Amino acid sequence: MAEIDATGRSTREINLAIRQSIAEGSTNITVVNPGARHNLAVAILEPVHIRIAGSAGYYCGGLIDGPSIEIEGSAGWGLAESMLSGTLRVHGNAGSGAAAAIRGGTVVIRGDAAARLGVSMKGGLVIVAGNCGYMAGFMAQKGTLIVCGDAGDAFADSMYATVCYVGGKINSLGTDAVVSTMETGDTEQVEQALSTYFPADLRKTKPAAANFKKVVAGRKLWNFDKRDWRIWQEAL
Amino acid sequence: MLLSKRILAVYYEDTKTTMCGIIGYFDKTGANEGSLGEVLLRMLQALACRGPDSAGVAMFGTHRPNYFVAQVKLGDNGQHADRARQVNALALNFGAQEFSQSDSYLRFMIREVDNLKPFLSSIESIGRDVEVVSVGRRLEIVKQVGSPSRLEQAFKISKFSGRYGIGHTRLSTESVVDLSHSQPFWGHGYPDLAIVHNGHITNYHQLRRRYEQRGVRFYTENDSEIVAIFLAEKLRQGADLQAALAAMIVQLDGSFSCLAATDSAFGFVKDAYSFKPLLVAETDSFVAVATEEIALRGAIRGDYTVREAQAKEVQVWQR
Repeated sequence: MAEIDATGRSTREINLAIRQSIAEGSTNITVVNPGARHNLAVAILEPVHIRIAGSAGYYCGGLIDGPSIEIEGSAGWGLAESMLSGTLRVHGNAGSGAAAAIRGGTVVIRGDAAARLGVSMKGGLVIVAGNCGYMAGFMAQKGTLIVCGDAGDAFADSMYATVCYVGGKINSLGTDAVVSTMETGDTEQVEQALSTYFPADLRKTKPAAANFKKVVAGRKLWNFDKRDWRIWQEAL
Repeated sequence: MLLSKRILAVYYEDTKTTMCGIIGYFDKTGANEGSLGEVLLRMLQALACRGPDSAGVAMFGTHRPNYFVAQVKLGDNGQHADRARQVNALALNFGAQEFSQSDSYLRFMIREVDNLKPFLSSIESIGRDVEVVSVGRRLEIVKQVGSPSRLEQAFKISKFSGRYGIGHTRLSTESVVDLSHSQPFWGHGYPDLAIVHNGHITNYHQLRRRYEQRGVRFYTENDSEIVAIFLAEKLRQGADLQAALAAMIVQLDGSFSCLAATDSAFGFVKDAYSFKPLLVAETDSFVAVATEEIALRGAIRGDYTVREAQAKEVQVWQR
């Protein structure tokens, strides 16, 4: 196992040290004293495990393809932005724009997520144990978004084919977002996701899968129809 | 939706590059008053890269009964000794004492009054570039062009004792870089009100026209100044800080993560679209707020949880 002390090092030096460790064959890397530094562990393309022993700043784990990253504190804006594959777990809370534009992989936030969670995601799985803020799922195109707690305003606004599940209350739905019926397959998917990515004691504190609300696109924004003019006015 | 989605998308991108850093620290127990200045300085230094143009702090210290403390900017042209003599002479009419000069500031105590207008008019009649930067029972604002380290060199803010304070590092996007345009802003004429703001107030010109029609003087072209003027007006009308900050969400457009403090309260507000970051840590002994968590971790050791404030969130802590 490789250990990298972030104290006194620039972000570039920390990321170079991570890459150096990978090049030397390490598959298990710990960054200690991260101090909420920005851009940690970005663009890692190897299937290694990276543990951030504390909080990370902006854009941690962005553009990754394959690694498993665990942040033991909280994470700032743009967590896992545009990731292709891999797993990113945050023990604490995440800032705005978490999992924005991800194309695949899994992002697990054990605390709350701030505004714009999963905006424009094009695939992948996002799971939030707590609440999410304003405009989560905005223009999301594919993938699955699961929020165990409450969702903020304008939830799932202008969405394409992403499927969202919310365990708590939804403050307000965004334009063209509709609550749909939970089918057996939905319940199984939510249960499998939660039992796979949450420890048993955390899973117990969350709602039963069958009690989640499913939110999908109403598809009225998918094709222009002048009879839906009011919705388009609101959306654009 | 009030805001066009296209504008929102542009703004989302914009927030990655448009900066300024704000910080605040509130000691809940009063046990750490001695270290306020040091904590604020460390937080500011961590955000120095967000705002290389200027830095400033508003610190709330011990109240000396029946007296205000005043910080006066002596001008922009370096004639500080002459200006200090002029301010000194006029301030004596208001029972001023304990004068001390640091850099381009003259600090002194004046007798507490209900109406500060005569004092402000008198001092600021010396010259257009003479400005009363703060007056309050507890409040002292110092700010200047340059880095937080330069601020420390000039004013030794790390030695300041108090329960709470706020600070700012500025990256100018629209108005000039000088001391007056730096933050924090005082709620001019309203003792002990200070604000720091990260963002843009997009209905600034409209609001400014309305205030100017009512005779309110603006000292800068900085849109953040209107936050202080707005909050001062609300507090004068009888609102508490919680209500005044909540009114910002309704009446001010644009992006704002904003901290405000008075002689009895400390709080923050975030705009309806959560455009700007604001990280909050609260324990039994302190509240710390900053634009980036790096400022919290760099200044305050220990095990505590950090979260990002949500859209439309207002929180206030009473002294």
